[in-house]
Amino acid sequence: MKTIEWGFLIVNYLFLGGLSAGLFFVSALATFLYKLEEPSPYTRIARLGALLAPWPVMIGCGLLVFDLGRWYRFYKLFLHLRLVSPMSIGTWLLVFFNLVSLVNCYAWLTAAQRNALFAKLPRALAFLRRFNYDIDPWRRHLAFLGLPISVGVGIYTGVLLGAVQSRPFWNTNLVAQLFLFSALSTGCAVLILGLARRERSVPELKLLYGLDICFMVLEFFIVLPYLIHGQLSVQAVQDSLKLILGGPFTILFWVFFLGLGLLTPLVIELLELVPVIVSNREFHYSRPIAAGAALLILSGGFLLRYIFVFAGQMSAIQ
Amino acid sequence: MDRRRFLQFSAGGAATAAVGASLAYMKPFSHPPVKEAERLEIPTTCEMCVNKCSVIAVVENGVIHKLNPNPENPKSRSMLCARGNAGLQQVYDPARLKRPLIRVGARGEGKWRPASWDEAFDLAANKLSETKAKYGPQGTLWSSTESFQEVFFQNLGAAFGSPNAVRHATLCLASVNLAYSLTFGTVPSFDLLNSKYIIMSGANRLEAFITPDTMDLIESAEYRKAKLIYLDPRFTVTASKADEWYPIRPGTDLAFILAMLNVIVTEKRYDKEFVETYTIGFDKLADHVKTFTPEWAEQETEIPAKDILRIAHEFSDAAPRAVYYAGRRSSWYREDFHTRRAQAILNAIVGSWDREGGMVPNGKIALGEYLFLPWDDPAAPRVDEMDKNFPLAAKGDGAYLKLRENVIAGTPYPVKAWMIHKQDPLNALPNQARTLEMVQQMDFIGVVDVQMSDTAWYADVLFPESTYLERTDPVQVLSGITPVVVYRQQVVKPAFDTKTTLEIAQGLAKRLGLSQYFEYTMEQWVDAQVKELHLEAPLEYLKKHGVYVPGDFPKYGTTLNADHRFITKSGKIELYSERLQEAKYDPLPVYHAPPQPPPGKFRLILGRRAYFTHANSTNNPWLNQFAPENRLWLNPAAAESLGVSDGDMVETKSTVGSVRLKARVTQEIRPDCVFMLHGYGKKSKWQRLVADKGGSDAELLETAWDTVSGNASMHETFVSVRKV
Amino acid sequence: MAAHTKRYALVIDTKKCINCKACVVACRAEYNVPLAYSRPWLNEETRGVWPKLLAVSQPEQCHHCAHPACVRVCPTGASYQRADGIVVVNECDCVGCRYCMIACPYNARFFREDKGVVEKCDFCVKRLARGELPACVETCPSKVRVFGDLNDPKSRLAELISDREYRLKKPEAGTGPQIYYLM
Repeated sequence: MKTIEWGFLIVNYLFLGGLSAGLFFVSALATFLYKLEEPSPYTRIARLGALLAPWPVMIGCGLLVFDLGRWYRFYKLFLHLRLVSPMSIGTWLLVFFNLVSLVNCYAWLTAAQRNALFAKLPRALAFLRRFNYDIDPWRRHLAFLGLPISVGVGIYTGVLLGAVQSRPFWNTNLVAQLFLFSALSTGCAVLILGLARRERSVPELKLLYGLDICFMVLEFFIVLPYLIHGQLSVQAVQDSLKLILGGPFTILFWVFFLGLGLLTPLVIELLELVPVIVSNREFHYSRPIAAGAALLILSGGFLLRYIFVFAGQMSAIQ
Repeated sequence: MDRRRFLQFSAGGAATAAVGASLAYMKPFSHPPVKEAERLEIPTTCEMCVNKCSVIAVVENGVIHKLNPNPENPKSRSMLCARGNAGLQQVYDPARLKRPLIRVGARGEGKWRPASWDEAFDLAANKLSETKAKYGPQGTLWSSTESFQEVFFQNLGAAFGSPNAVRHATLCLASVNLAYSLTFGTVPSFDLLNSKYIIMSGANRLEAFITPDTMDLIESAEYRKAKLIYLDPRFTVTASKADEWYPIRPGTDLAFILAMLNVIVTEKRYDKEFVETYTIGFDKLADHVKTFTPEWAEQETEIPAKDILRIAHEFSDAAPRAVYYAGRRSSWYREDFHTRRAQAILNAIVGSWDREGGMVPNGKIALGEYLFLPWDDPAAPRVDEMDKNFPLAAKGDGAYLKLRENVIAGTPYPVKAWMIHKQDPLNALPNQARTLEMVQQMDFIGVVDVQMSDTAWYADVLFPESTYLERTDPVQVLSGITPVVVYRQQVVKPAFDTKTTLEIAQGLAKRLGLSQYFEYTMEQWVDAQVKELHLEAPLEYLKKHGVYVPGDFPKYGTTLNADHRFITKSGKIELYSERLQEAKYDPLPVYHAPPQPPPGKFRLILGRRAYFTHANSTNNPWLNQFAPENRLWLNPAAAESLGVSDGDMVETKSTVGSVRLKARVTQEIRPDCVFMLHGYGKKSKWQRLVADKGGSDAELLETAWDTVSGNASMHETFVSVRKV
Repeated sequence: MAAHTKRYALVIDTKKCINCKACVVACRAEYNVPLAYSRPWLNEETRGVWPKLLAVSQPEQCHHCAHPACVRVCPTGASYQRADGIVVVNECDCVGCRYCMIACPYNARFFREDKGVVEKCDFCVKRLARGELPACVETCPSKVRVFGDLNDPKSRLAELISDREYRLKKPEAGTGPQIYYLM
């Protein structure tokens, strides 16, 4: 009785979890590379990333719990740590990531924002105002702590799928990397969307474009061997790839994910950035183009997970 | 933040985690220990079909949880088929009959009012007495299907004075029984277990019911490497397992057998000693089969002559461990009796009688009898005029279809009241429209059943019977080469207001002035039966084991001594039957090529599955799931010529009715035949899973019967099929 | 007699299966499995061109693998393997994430919507505890299934495996299935 067990809830979680991981990663990277004491334009990346990072994953975790057969028993996941189960590891990774990214988000609030937040507390919870600490000095430590965890969150979703031998569509080492770089790229995309509104975000966008191009190039050069090696692999893998080579997911994969969701934004960003680097000109970005590329990346990231979750469950060893 | 704060945070966090974890192990989050159920294991006998396998019912807290096989019964080979396992659904079926019902509204409207048993008995007894006053006791018909309590129903009818009892044999195996009786003086069983060569015409033993013969065939064909030759217009499960399967032209099995006889007689491959010692009429037989060459048979059967020749050789070489299997349901063609006669003759001349691997007369176990007052023989003759129409057939079983014709015509006398036990004539008899005519002309119909069958749906009073798991029955001997005694005892108390057939008979008898014939309890009856068994405390033994297997069987060769007198006119095995000749039937089987369907029409053939018992189990949800509807099987060539694809709705029409059901285009059937499963398209709305689902074969089948035995002939109907 | 660790397994002789569905109904009764699901199932196949036809029905159920993927991926340890090799689901610990269903190469598990947990054949552990055979094994008219202890050389199961050729289903999945199909 082969059924599709993991559906839209899981697809959404994978996307949202990856998005949070990407946001945190880029924010942490920005935190490391630039001195905090100096007012640096790149702190906007770090701040925006930190403020946004906790929320998508928390929604995703809510979806995950809701997807369980007995959601009220989700606490059982925290009574065990099974190192051989990617899901168990992932559970704990998510817990720590949620915690760290929440604390990190708090760390990037300005004093004014913190005071405003605590002022909004109802009288009953007024005692919590004692926790109105300034933990700005902790930002680098939090970034240091959270960076590997965010990579973990980004990668383990791929391990979750890749560890399943009975679904040949997934059963490759490359899925983990694919999901990671896609996650990092979606993180960049949201930041691009968020920062492209301001005129003075030129240096931020230059960095984001650069990072994003790296991530997407890496992503592309993982998709390529996935397809090539898959076609040269055992019959079960070849059969599973038929799902995207003539099967029901063909158009979705080639036109919408690879074409529109990966290669098009890559080319757009390259065309925006490469002439600047080559001829050392000043970088001007176009707001609609930036937003368009970002949206394409986001839909591509979502489609990647959609295709993999559904096609994967349809594949089988005959 | 300083270190102190950090420590405070961590301590608080750890404390929370600890409290949370320990909460998880406390109620209500933890799980209370499961109470050990009160568990009983009670041996009893299954009633999901005619085979009466031994089961052990597992009862937990008063509810039947599971039915397990009883390994002590060698006949059921320590197994329980799908139907047996699904038996407990009969008890807990929400749509079963739970209390007596009396019809309000017209017949077939399905409007009922619950009644007390007194009311039901009073009404039925009044109607029966009225009928007796107007038409005599012969104006009542008592039809039943075999069950352990059938005897009480039959006795009631007999004590009432009616000669008109009709049973299921006339719809099933009357012709094969008669054919073998006239040849051997008895109906033998087949020692398939020890056979080395088995030929089967239809009798889809690996699929149609799971019977003791099924178990034997599985053992010999699958484990002991016996060779199985199988003739069937359909590719059934048996066909898939047989060594050789021939899609024989329907109705021509007799030609095949005659050709085998020809080869064996001509080439002197028969058992000379056996023929000389135990049979008569061989010379006439030899003369008779001279012309039936394999080449001739090939024209008739579409089986290659060289194969017929080879099979005849292999069969005679393997004898006496070779049998041509008689089959069980022989309600196929008007000439079926003669086909079975030819089988019997074939088996006889190779000496496959009373020897291992051949036909073996049934062993006997004597049971005691509860003695009560006898009643007078009924004054009037039977309404189906068996003496006149079927002089050689078993009178007690009747000829159902002839009976129906006479009742509708009102000749030789009217029959106006009908009592039915464990039978669904609306589905069991071919030509449902005709059965409905018979129903409508009745003044009164009373039905004893566990579920709302189609016939119950059209009845006047319903007497709900307790299911087999809720009652204790008379002890029964399952005859065969290894006969056993089986016991059925109550496993759970009746879940609803139901009674046993004995109690129903007693209730009616009281009001009909016939109590003196039913003044005993089931316990007394059973006690009288088991007294004759060679056991210390027979009833305790049966209650504990459910089955008693006397150690002295199988016995081979009991008839193989020159002094033995067969129960035939000549005292020998009658290859040539003078009795048949005197009754103006063919004394040796004469082949008449059966009419084949005209172009554009198909022969409707029937068959069964392993998980259904006729029409009475298709509504069992645990069984229905394997075939929620029936479809009309069509060969792809036939389907193409009709423009029908798999799953299309088709209308199938005969001269007596038409049904609509979906088509199943499959290679598993000959192009000139169609097939449909039995027990669908029901009229009873209480059988929700099969009411108006698929089609009823009973609506299509035309009235036809075997000339000698009166056995219904159910493969003689040609139908047209068109896409709708 | 030296005690040994039991390792339960199943031998199936497909040729003898007559597709009578007894095993499906027996299991349903034993475990009150709702109609929508079945722990054992029958893989049916018909091939050929009339009149050269072939029909096969092959019983299958959880293979109780030597290296069960379902046990490995379970985040709570609800799916675990007993010392005797039987893979069991502890319903108390199952949260219904269905990862095990996806990991199983044989699709032997199903999700009970009514209970919110995953279920599958467990070789009738309750019956084994009472010294009875699994329901599907006991009820079969053809005795298609032979159940026993691989580590007991005197068992019928061990004899069959040493005498007869057999094949496993999807061995390339690497889970080490323990249903041996006689050839």
